[in-house]
Amino acid sequence: MPASATEYSATVWTHFRSPCNAGEFPAGTAGVLGGEAGARQRGRAVAFQLQVNADGRVADCRYRVYGCPATIALCSLTSEALKGRPLAAASAFSVVALAEQLGLPAAKRSAALTVEDAIRSAAGRYNSPGWLPLAAAELTHRA
Amino acid sequence: MNHKVIYLDYAATTPVDPRVAEKMAGCLTCEGMFANPASAHAPGRAARGAVEQARNQVAALVGAEPGEIIFTSGATESDNLAIKGAMHFYQGKGRHLVTSRIEHKAVLDTCKQLERDGFEVTWLKPDPDGLIQPSMIEQALRPDTVLVSIMHVNNEIGTLNDIAAIGRITRERGVLFHVDAAQSAGKLPIDLKTLRVDLMSFSGHKVYGPKGIGALYVRREPRVQLDPLIHGGGHEHGLRSGTLATHQIVGMGAAFDLARQELAQEAPRLRALRERLWQALHAAIPQALLNGHPSQRVCGILNVAFPGIEGESLLFACEALAVSSGSACTSADRQPSFVLRALGRDDQLAGSSIRFSVGRFSIAAEVDTAASIVSEEYRRLLDLAPTG
Repeated sequence: MPASATEYSATVWTHFRSPCNAGEFPAGTAGVLGGEAGARQRGRAVAFQLQVNADGRVADCRYRVYGCPATIALCSLTSEALKGRPLAAASAFSVVALAEQLGLPAAKRSAALTVEDAIRSAAGRYNSPGWLPLAAAELTHRA
Repeated sequence: MNHKVIYLDYAATTPVDPRVAEKMAGCLTCEGMFANPASAHAPGRAARGAVEQARNQVAALVGAEPGEIIFTSGATESDNLAIKGAMHFYQGKGRHLVTSRIEHKAVLDTCKQLERDGFEVTWLKPDPDGLIQPSMIEQALRPDTVLVSIMHVNNEIGTLNDIAAIGRITRERGVLFHVDAAQSAGKLPIDLKTLRVDLMSFSGHKVYGPKGIGALYVRREPRVQLDPLIHGGGHEHGLRSGTLATHQIVGMGAAFDLARQELAQEAPRLRALRERLWQALHAAIPQALLNGHPSQRVCGILNVAFPGIEGESLLFACEALAVSSGSACTSADRQPSFVLRALGRDDQLAGSSIRFSVGRFSIAAEVDTAASIVSEEYRRLLDLAPTG
């Protein structure tokens, strides 16, 4: 077992074992912004999806993750933390600070940065042509 | 043993066999053989007798003469003594040695130190199956080559080098041949009477003996000479000074004696367990890859690469198993196994490789449980990963 095994908290361990909100929204789901960061060749890759309401708040999250237990746990915890936040606040959310609160070793800081990058990449697509927030998209769809 | 965890890391170390522990306990207290084996009095002579019996037992497992066995603190010290000792003693003949890139760190780091000291080292790359072919050795030898150091069985992937063929080449060319046999002693028949090996390293704790004890075989005919690493008292024919650790030596002797008695039955049993594990894993995960040669390998070691998932996560997910990883992902800079990288595995595959090693106390039910745990966790992590 790597030395860092003993350095993971119970919270990290729980979210690694049973990550919340894992997976992805079905194709065509309204209001979804997606972003990616990292690369398998570098040891971690994250694809994060934010579902945004008409009021600009994050309604729900999904993600796919390839990486160490810390990366998986950070995706899970972050996906819970972002719900209900305005998109700007979600984009500014510090996964690095979360990692520090969890007592993750300094060497795992890059895992937090990868998750942050994926979220910011997703949030950055807010003004993409054709994208509509959840409620507006549903109204458009109904019309 | 902790029964919550299935121990499949016998290549890292083995528990002391209770029969061995009992013998060791008889060398520690007032009632036992606690005296200094170098002392001339009766208790000292009794301890010396126990040490010499252990020497006989170690020698018997590998077809050596008892006088050719030098006790050390472990295989790492044996490797150091063999390589540094030979290179320093014979430096008038030359300053070149040959080894491979997938030796144990005890050999790699010793050779690197010799390079820093001005010796020349040829580092052989294994073939894609993880083997050092005798022809590679032949091509690497030079007129100033003093020593070849090649392991018998690779500790990570379990592949088995043809030390009989390599020994024929080195003997013909007048070059010394050192073999690290830490992973093969007790698992494969070794007969130093027929092998043309000059120096061979052994470990106590890989053979159900205690940690902190090992041995070095030093051939007497033709005679091999070494510069000692440790001075101070002239113990072990002047090659390894220091008061002999009677309980450790007795433990190693008892362990090697049991290994000799049980080898013929135990090796096929372990081979069957290893094969059972591989078949179960491969059936559940067809994309799993066997690291190392499929058949030229020791009975107890299986090393498998699991494509598409990250190694540290797989290892953590399989917390119910005590196994070894192909990587040391303890820092931002991943450090995949140098052995697997030398075999041509990329960082991802090297990082997601697991070494399973079965041993004396392994049973089929443990192997079956291990296969189902790994398969289940592999699928979970694969489902979690981004596609592409």
